[in-house]
Amino acid sequence: MKIASTQLSGEYEKVLRREQRSFMTGNEVVAWAALAAGADLMYGYPITPQNEIMHYWARLAPHFGRGFLQTEDELSAGFAMLGGALVGKKTFSATAGPGNILMQEPIAMAEMMQIPGVWIIQQRGGPSTATVIYSQQELRLTATGGNGEGLRIVYSTASHQELFEYTIKAFNTAWRYRFPTFVLGDGYQAKMREAVTLFRPENRGWELVPAEPILCPPGVPARDRDPVHLRNTFNLEEELYTRLMDQLAAYERIAPEVTEWEAEVPPGPEVLIIAHGIVARAARQAKESLNRQGRKVGYFRPVTVRPFPGQALREIVAASPNLRLLVAESAYGQLLAMVKAELYGFTNPVDSLLKPGVGITAEEIAAAVGRPEGGEAVS
Amino acid sequence: MPRVLEAYVGEYASGKSENAINRALRLVREGRRVRLADLDLVEPAYTLRPLKRTLEAQGLEVLAWETKELIGPGEAAITLKKEIVSTLAFPGDVIIDVGYGVEGRRLLNLIKGAFPPANGEEALRLIMVVNAARPLTSSLPLILAYLDEFGPVDGLINNTHLGEETTVELIQEGAVLVTAAARRVGCPVVATTAWRPYARQLGPVDRMGNPVWPIERFMSGAFW
Repeated sequence: MKIASTQLSGEYEKVLRREQRSFMTGNEVVAWAALAAGADLMYGYPITPQNEIMHYWARLAPHFGRGFLQTEDELSAGFAMLGGALVGKKTFSATAGPGNILMQEPIAMAEMMQIPGVWIIQQRGGPSTATVIYSQQELRLTATGGNGEGLRIVYSTASHQELFEYTIKAFNTAWRYRFPTFVLGDGYQAKMREAVTLFRPENRGWELVPAEPILCPPGVPARDRDPVHLRNTFNLEEELYTRLMDQLAAYERIAPEVTEWEAEVPPGPEVLIIAHGIVARAARQAKESLNRQGRKVGYFRPVTVRPFPGQALREIVAASPNLRLLVAESAYGQLLAMVKAELYGFTNPVDSLLKPGVGITAEEIAAAVGRPEGGEAVS
Repeated sequence: MPRVLEAYVGEYASGKSENAINRALRLVREGRRVRLADLDLVEPAYTLRPLKRTLEAQGLEVLAWETKELIGPGEAAITLKKEIVSTLAFPGDVIIDVGYGVEGRRLLNLIKGAFPPANGEEALRLIMVVNAARPLTSSLPLILAYLDEFGPVDGLINNTHLGEETTVELIQEGAVLVTAAARRVGCPVVATTAWRPYARQLGPVDRMGNPVWPIERFMSGAFW
């Protein structure tokens, strides 16, 4: 029973267009999202727990006229992405753990030369190869891992629907602002299964930012346009300083536009649970169950962990001087450090539930909220 | 009475492990001696391992790694239990949970007597689990294309569901699709399987006349 390749292509296109609920793993969702976002090329190197992003992309891409290259390692995958972006292709990669470390050099180059690219990070246990399963230990690495200033945009997702929508959004963000853009998932989101609605973004009125050749745009250099001179090497400290200060200013300018968060705070809150990614789901459940018991518990979730929604958090904390904070994460204080930095000057007590490399349940968070008044002052 | 020798195969995340476990337990409840063997190509330690003790307590013999036996090569190596090679020599029913789609089928070559079958009466039957809510098996042409890529199977199971969002109508639509695919390739639909509350609503047979097998959910207790 041979099905013609063209018929198969048509069937895959229907999967994207029909807007029915589908039962999927997070990795598959990302592959479909990249197709929907108009990604041209994926460069990657296998590492668990992101492998099925590559598998499904490699399987589907030819039916959508897209390409895939498995390089010899993550360094090559990252640099190949930059090459693709320079000639006007939308490129992406997916990695985790040690792969994320190797990817940092090309990412830093992208940062310096303002070359767009999208990276999907499915966090695994660390340090080193540790576990292939799950953690939130790549928060700091993903947000600020390069040898620079962390001029990146990082979306931390909490559901399959978000994986789909933020992957599409990440391509727009990267190509609109020219800062390396990340979707920070994790092994649980990669492998778990839940219902999701795929869609063609154009059918919902989402504009897709086009990719244009960066290195050789149309026209004769110096006659029709300025020459393109992308640099990642500077001879003098002052040259670098001037350039970086311009870039930092550009980043600060766009930060309010790209920063996203979720907050649900009842009047007169006693405790604010702060979590990101999949743990935020547990945090929200804990908040809701405690609210049903009459506890005035709120919830704050940075969706962009870089730039961090510090202003939004400060406004909540400033409005409730006696508010106790509880930071929950599957890492040993990476989010906690970000929160404390953003709340410098406040004296609210901050407690934490830190479980590096291990999942956190709503019950555990609810129990931590119920602990006797704990935590040290933010500053 | 001939032994039941079945391998559960199909698209990634189609419900192979859940169906293999439920099939094995159903046979145990019939008073049969049953072994459930884990043949997951990529994630051998993550599917049946966390459930091993639970399943053994219900009278099933489970051929899968125990946590203490495993040193965790992660993705760097595939470690299969050596007993898997001769698992069909087990003096009872054997249900094999074959992981990872088309690649998983190739792994059956490791099992003595799987291809060709040890004898005509006791051939290993390949049962493909299909969830029509999975994108790559969500239409008749897509299911047929998947079967074409996979190779011949001895039966299909309609395991259409959307997790928490499953409806009886969705399962019935899956039954229509899977039955149409089975007719096109000339194999039977073994059953429609559905989580017990839905199975109760479906009744003894689905819209296409296929038997409905209620299943319990075990995989939510496993990691991946």
